[in-house]
Amino acid sequence: MFCSTNNPAIKRFNRRFMVAMALYIAIMLLSVWAFKIYHPSGGIAYILAVLPSLPILGMLAMVGMYLTEEKDEFLRNAQIQALIWGMGATLAVTTVWGCLEDFAHVRHMDLFLVYPMYWFFVGVSTVLVKLRYK
Amino acid sequence: MKNRLRVLRAERNWSQADLAERLEVSRQSVNAIETGKFDPSLPLAFKLARLFETTIEAIFSDES
Repeated sequence: MFCSTNNPAIKRFNRRFMVAMALYIAIMLLSVWAFKIYHPSGGIAYILAVLPSLPILGMLAMVGMYLTEEKDEFLRNAQIQALIWGMGATLAVTTVWGCLEDFAHVRHMDLFLVYPMYWFFVGVSTVLVKLRYK
Repeated sequence: MKNRLRVLRAERNWSQADLAERLEVSRQSVNAIETGKFDPSLPLAFKLARLFETTIEAIFSDES
């Protein structure tokens, strides 16, 4: 997030993030193991495939909680700006790439990549917003 | 928005960190407000006015 770790809202976000990442690794290993050993199909396969994404999606809720809990209006504003810039950049890249795929037959981009791409752009935007207010 | 925060702070020998602590905000917030890059909300502006024992208009002016 935007500033030092003395901020209680950021501390709580970091703690939740660690828990989500630990859950993600555990569930991912469990899913991979289950697919290797039991070769599930039908509804069970769908559930096992979706499970690892849940802690990752939880990050969106965590960001929402951070924005609610952040008492510093400037930091909240700066973080919102970074989130919006990240969203804009991701939409721009994926839209342009979609057109390139359709018309110029470039390599297909896995949808799986959109989420990490968003956080990459949010990270870059956070630095740029920080520099803007320096 | 223009403001007299730097002057008011200097009169009291407060650093940006001192003021931030009194306002319960980050030092970055004080810096952004002081340099006119971020306009505080009304509650924060009132808090500033109370802290410096003056009015909001005496701290901020809407001249460009």
